Amino acid sequence: MAHRWGMVVDLDKCTGCEACVTACHAENNIPTAGATEAGRGRAMHWLRVERYWEGDFPDVKVKFKPVMCQHCDNAPCEAVCPTYASHQTDEGLNAQVYNRCIGTRYCANACSYNVRFFNFFNPQWEKPLQLQLNPDVSVREVGVMEKCTFCVQRIKSGKSAAKADGRELKDGDIQPACVQSCPAGAIIFGDLNDHESRAARLTHSPRGTKLLEDEGTEPKVTYLQRQSWNEPDTQ
Amino acid sequence: MPAWLVLTVLALSAASCVDAPFSERQQAERVLQRSRWGTSSVYTPARTGLADAARTHFGLRADPVQPFAYSHRVHLAQEMACVDCHQGVESGPRAGLPGMNTCMTCHAAIATEKPLVQTMAKMQAEGRDFAWARVYDYAREAHVRFEHAPHIRAKVECSTCHGDMRQQDVATRVVDMDMAFCVNCHTQKQASNDCLTCHY
Ligand code: SF4
Ligand code: SF4
Repeated sequence: MAHRWGMVVDLDKCTGCEACVTACHAENNIPTAGATEAGRGRAMHWLRVERYWEGDFPDVKVKFKPVMCQHCDNAPCEAVCPTYASHQTDEGLNAQVYNRCIGTRYCANACSYNVRFFNFFNPQWEKPLQLQLNPDVSVREVGVMEKCTFCVQRIKSGKSAAKADGRELKDGDIQPACVQSCPAGAIIFGDLNDHESRAARLTHSPRGTKLLEDEGTEPKVTYLQRQSWNEPDTQ
Repeated sequence: MPAWLVLTVLALSAASCVDAPFSERQQAERVLQRSRWGTSSVYTPARTGLADAARTHFGLRADPVQPFAYSHRVHLAQEMACVDCHQGVESGPRAGLPGMNTCMTCHAAIATEKPLVQTMAKMQAEGRDFAWARVYDYAREAHVRFEHAPHIRAKVECSTCHGDMRQQDVATRVVDMDMAFCVNCHTQKQASNDCLTCHY
């Protein structure tokens, strides 16, 4: 059976350290916009950690929520793309094909999660930082959209390495950069079609919710949290 | 303008848009044509200017300059295989270019009287290595991530993409690796033609 890649984020484990954000930037050659452009809403972060405060000082609780592309089964970004740059692959990835993208930015407006980013400039890295670019990932030019790919380059190389060794792909063989770097082990990635995989089992956890579920986007990222967190002010 | 002229122009431009699959002979001819760079008719704002766009369109790029004129023809005539020197080709994305130690595995004992080999022995003793120049490459904005290993596993011959190296001394670009070249083969071998297979 074809793979169907999905992710689970355990919010009870996330400490908000943002190691995943840093790892995602490094792995995927994501440029930083700088303060001025960020102020104009042109910052690019395929993965962001949202912060929510609850209660009044000093009785406050903070919640962290890492948000990346949810690789929706019923993705609004795909339906609006006039060039099929945004499309669903056989393995359930929401692909963004830079070559096809003509920069209409319809997808970014259609996406409910605000996880698509437009390249307003050709990215530049001050020397010698250009030497740290990951050769397995494109550097996107001005005029195209980009977003979390579930680290498709790692999916490819994981599958390729398994084939080269003549073995089956095991659960945990493929780790996106955010999963690998999370010190709390809060992010889990795996094949949702393999019912034994950790990600598939946790997807059905009673602690699980999806973001903006009622919009019908059918995300492939599940968020786990204590259900009490959903109750209004438990202080 | 007379109607027949308009119609002819329309028909011609429509015909040129259809990327008909190539017959095997045409494919072979394409392989034999000397091309200097994977030609590309893609225009993106990433190009620095009109000159840059024109260069890519016509496939103009300076030939790679190698440290010395290594002859593939001579080595392959000794019944060497490509993988003897390009050792990563079966296991990873990159075929790899041989380092000095790979050369000296044989040349510690073979052709030691030649001045070049003596220079190499000296370089090896000093811990120096060759800076080979890449021959084939894709334009940056083609966003192509190519992996060698899956192609070797699918039994694609090296010569399909690199030409017959037994005929070449210094490696030159003899195959135009444009998208039609890749897609035709993927279609024939029933490999995936999803964009994400190569572009990410
Ligand atoms: S989260 Fe947004 S970008 Fe990702 S698939 Fe869904 S609609 Fe598209
Ligand atoms: S899966 Fe990869 S691209 Fe997506 S958020 Fe994690 S590190 Fe970034």
